[in-house]
Amino acid sequence: MSSVMTMAGIIRQRREAGDRSHLGRAAVLVLAVVLVLAMVLSMTTGASGASAWTILKGWLGMAPGELDGVRDYAVIYHIRLPRMILGVLIGAALAVSGLLMQGLFRNPLADPGLVGVSAGGSLGAVSIIVLGTTVLAPLTALLGIYSLQLASFFGGLVTTFILYRVATRSGQTAIATMLLAGIAIGALAGAVTGVLVYVATDAQLRDLTFWGLGSLSGANWVKVAASGPIILAALAVSPFLAKGLNAMTLGEATAAHLGIPVQRFKLVTIVVVAAATGASVAVSGGIGFVGIVVPHLLRLVIGPDHRYLLPATALLGASFLLFADAISRLIVAPAEMPIGIITAAFGGPFFLWILLRRRSAFAW
Amino acid sequence: MIEVHDLSVDIGGRTILQGVDLSAPAGQLTAVIGPNGSGKSTLLKALCRDHRYSGEVLINGRNLTALSPAEAATQRAVLPQSSNLPFPFTVREVVAMGLTAGRPGPTGEALLRLPEQALTAVDLPGFGGRYYGELSGGEQQRVQLARVLCQVWRPVLDGVPRYLLLDEPVSSLDVRHQLMIMDVARRFADSGGGVIAVLHDLNLAAMYADQVVALRRGEVVAAGPAEQVITDQVVADVFECPLQVGLAPSGGAPFVLPQSIRRDAPVHSRVA
Repeated sequence: MSSVMTMAGIIRQRREAGDRSHLGRAAVLVLAVVLVLAMVLSMTTGASGASAWTILKGWLGMAPGELDGVRDYAVIYHIRLPRMILGVLIGAALAVSGLLMQGLFRNPLADPGLVGVSAGGSLGAVSIIVLGTTVLAPLTALLGIYSLQLASFFGGLVTTFILYRVATRSGQTAIATMLLAGIAIGALAGAVTGVLVYVATDAQLRDLTFWGLGSLSGANWVKVAASGPIILAALAVSPFLAKGLNAMTLGEATAAHLGIPVQRFKLVTIVVVAAATGASVAVSGGIGFVGIVVPHLLRLVIGPDHRYLLPATALLGASFLLFADAISRLIVAPAEMPIGIITAAFGGPFFLWILLRRRSAFAW
Repeated sequence: MIEVHDLSVDIGGRTILQGVDLSAPAGQLTAVIGPNGSGKSTLLKALCRDHRYSGEVLINGRNLTALSPAEAATQRAVLPQSSNLPFPFTVREVVAMGLTAGRPGPTGEALLRLPEQALTAVDLPGFGGRYYGELSGGEQQRVQLARVLCQVWRPVLDGVPRYLLLDEPVSSLDVRHQLMIMDVARRFADSGGGVIAVLHDLNLAAMYADQVVALRRGEVVAAGPAEQVITDQVVADVFECPLQVGLAPSGGAPFVLPQSIRRDAPVHSRVA
């Protein structure tokens, strides 16, 4: 109730024409509420009839005998809760990574998938899946349950730094060179991944296929512990990049004139993107289009000011992935459809629609 | 004061500027003139640290290389030649970027009114709600100037003069707005700030500048008051083109009337 009043207050506030900060603030509030709803939905849907509410009732002794307390407790705390937390973190990470790439490259269609960061992360993860029991056995023995996360994060970082070295001359990064280098590096990583898939066993192939389609179905507390801190750190840094992202839309030179330490800004942005993307890819595989769809939709509503766009994108990205995950769990229950199929089914047509729109009068 | 000592810039092994000395005092408008490729824009870019240079640039007595980007942004604002935006910002949002960057001076409510005041100064009142991408080239240039003005709204803050660096500020403007924008720059200098403007129009330079610096092939050929620099001799030398300099009937500022180089074939005889 109080948030509704706050929102009404923000919207009523006197403001100058063209100032959309009230919309940005209102959107962040609304999306925070939406995320809470999505989290509740995520906790209460699934193949099992268990819901947080029945658990609570069972605890309070209101409905004795109505449910199997032990089983439902297990479903809620060991399956749904880590899955919900990973959904929130990965949704926010993918959406924010897309937004950061778009701001950095001054291109509304940029995405970690586009410059090879996801491909590098995937290569790291696939290496562990295929070679983890043979060539890389010492590594997996050393890193244990964290090997997939760390390999993927490492793959994303290495890709990004190769990219950065190739595209940067005397302290200046040429964005066009970087995009083209990204395509080349992505293709290279894809080729190596292809070789690994070629030598994989049938069982590994099945793992790879499901991992590659993108899914949250394997969520557990270990994955939360392995990916969560990396993603949280990346998300915590991103608000400090908002001013720089705004200035960068005027071009690198003008951003520097506006007081942004441009080279440092670009480096931090790249590391944040690699960390968030790598940690996400390790858990969920290729979940596409979140980084394109979410920032683009929000730009249409609240405008491109990153001070509001960043938190709004994180919130909507998290909600979007939770809703997509709920659909993936319900549509073919009790089986599950990989979540990447759901996001692609939304995102593919949306991407085409953006391209068609860009051909019309507007300049973005 | 912005002081330049023995400034040289090499780009890709080619020397673009060589041994340039210059001083642009606060309270004055300094115009930089010269033909295409003479190094005017490179000079301005060196002053913004867009290019590496050898030599020394001092702004209010401090070496430019010792200033952090954020400090530099509080002392000078730079108008680029052109800016395309990849995202749909409104005019107000673009202008307001100048507020978060520099130190405009006013605070609180007054700060929030600055973008509209700056838009009024560049003759775009009420344009705040329009989309930047939908404006004409000349209007976009004026929006950028409004943003730049916001960054250093008070020409002097805490006793420290600030500077406007303008790269061809009137290149895509109609004649009325050319004069209007030069008036804005002139007022900034009259209020104690410094202005360095790259200008193609010799008449505007003569009319508005306290000091004119003429560049040719990366070197300063002449510097001083307009009536000493914009002369038959210097202008013919710098632009390698015979131009007749006259004195305006009102005020006595020099003016230049472009004439065909082909003296033997004047316009009226070609018609006949």
